[in-house]
Amino acid sequence: MKLESGFVPVALSSHIEPGTSTGAVVEQAELVVWRDNSGKVHVWEDRCPHRGMRLSFGFVRGDHIACLYHGWQFDTGGQCRHIPAHPDLEVPQTIKVPIYRAEEKLGIVWATTASDAELADITMASDLAGLRSLYVDCSLEHALAGLAVHGFATAGENAGTLTVDGVPLFIALQVVGPQNTALHISVPGAQGADISKRLARWAEALRFALESPELAGMEVA
Amino acid sequence: MADLVLYNYELDENSYRVRLALGMLGLDYETVAVDMFPGQEHRRPKMLALNPAGTMPVLTDGDLVLSGTSAILLTLAKVYNAVGSLLPSDARAFGEVVKWLGFSETLLAPAVDARLKSLFDTPGDAPALKAAARKAFRIMDDHMTSRHFDGQEWFVGNGPTLADIALFPSFALSRDFVVGHEEYPALRRWIRRFRTLKGFRTMPGIPDYH
Repeated sequence: MKLESGFVPVALSSHIEPGTSTGAVVEQAELVVWRDNSGKVHVWEDRCPHRGMRLSFGFVRGDHIACLYHGWQFDTGGQCRHIPAHPDLEVPQTIKVPIYRAEEKLGIVWATTASDAELADITMASDLAGLRSLYVDCSLEHALAGLAVHGFATAGENAGTLTVDGVPLFIALQVVGPQNTALHISVPGAQGADISKRLARWAEALRFALESPELAGMEVA
Repeated sequence: MADLVLYNYELDENSYRVRLALGMLGLDYETVAVDMFPGQEHRRPKMLALNPAGTMPVLTDGDLVLSGTSAILLTLAKVYNAVGSLLPSDARAFGEVVKWLGFSETLLAPAVDARLKSLFDTPGDAPALKAAARKAFRIMDDHMTSRHFDGQEWFVGNGPTLADIALFPSFALSRDFVVGHEEYPALRRWIRRFRTLKGFRTMPGIPDYH
């Protein structure tokens, strides 16, 4: 799903710590995902309006994100507030980064450019927390077909549930590119370390199977 | 005792590995600049007299001449890290640290080569090197994902070791050969922790956040 057609999962909430940023790619569109020090998450176009540098290479200070290149600082509305080379300048309102709608639900950060899109109303028996994001070198269709083998029950577009070792997993898929798909996996909160590690190994085996030439005979331990 | 001289090239990531270790150990040292690119000084008689293998960096400590990144790191830890935090004596942790040092010189070698190819057009198959580097980063990310479930922030044990020092540069510098950090959330977390260590220093390609 493209950013303009609805909410797309871009990261696990737990992977975006306060005061940090990262990049994410949705169908080749580059995004910066960052969390300010108050805990609010932001998803923007990953492009500094000055020289086109990726903002995800920059760094977060308080409620601003700064470009690595020349230190231009942007507030949570995407508005440039400070240009170090011109410290006394009142920055023009036109210097602004396109910002997208971002929401957190089911342990996942979702984003869209659509003003009227609604995040799918998926309810789970308990609160979810991120387990891991799995980046797989395969197409979305291939990933969905591979998940179907395990009884993946779809819930919303490109998302669904699957039970492994008695633990209900929620999996949301992000199309990175034609042959790159991210699976953001969340689980009911407060799983122990041992079960989390076992589920992570299951996910690694799933990745191995999805990247194997044929899905047939896919064995996931 | 410390009479350390590092034959160093600022853009060489193996020189950086040793600079990191020296920094974290709080050691003073002299540097001798060796122009690897384009000068190829590491492969000329003056440097070959010190290190016939022609690899970089070279560290001398008095009359001890060391080459090979892991050899240098291991020796620095043995001589200057009496508490043994960087190279634990406990057999299991020792084995794991040495395993990751081996990893940094084998599975991670394509990352080093991919970067040199990208920066200096050294020989090599760029797409194959990049693919192999991604594979190594994935192994590291899977490992740190598991470590985080155990509440641990470092590759081995409960504090930074030579393993972290040997592994950090290739991942931190991966954008030099156009491999982003998007696919490696556990490694992103780890390098954020690594950057806060006492004695940490940056190099070109690893920005200072000012």
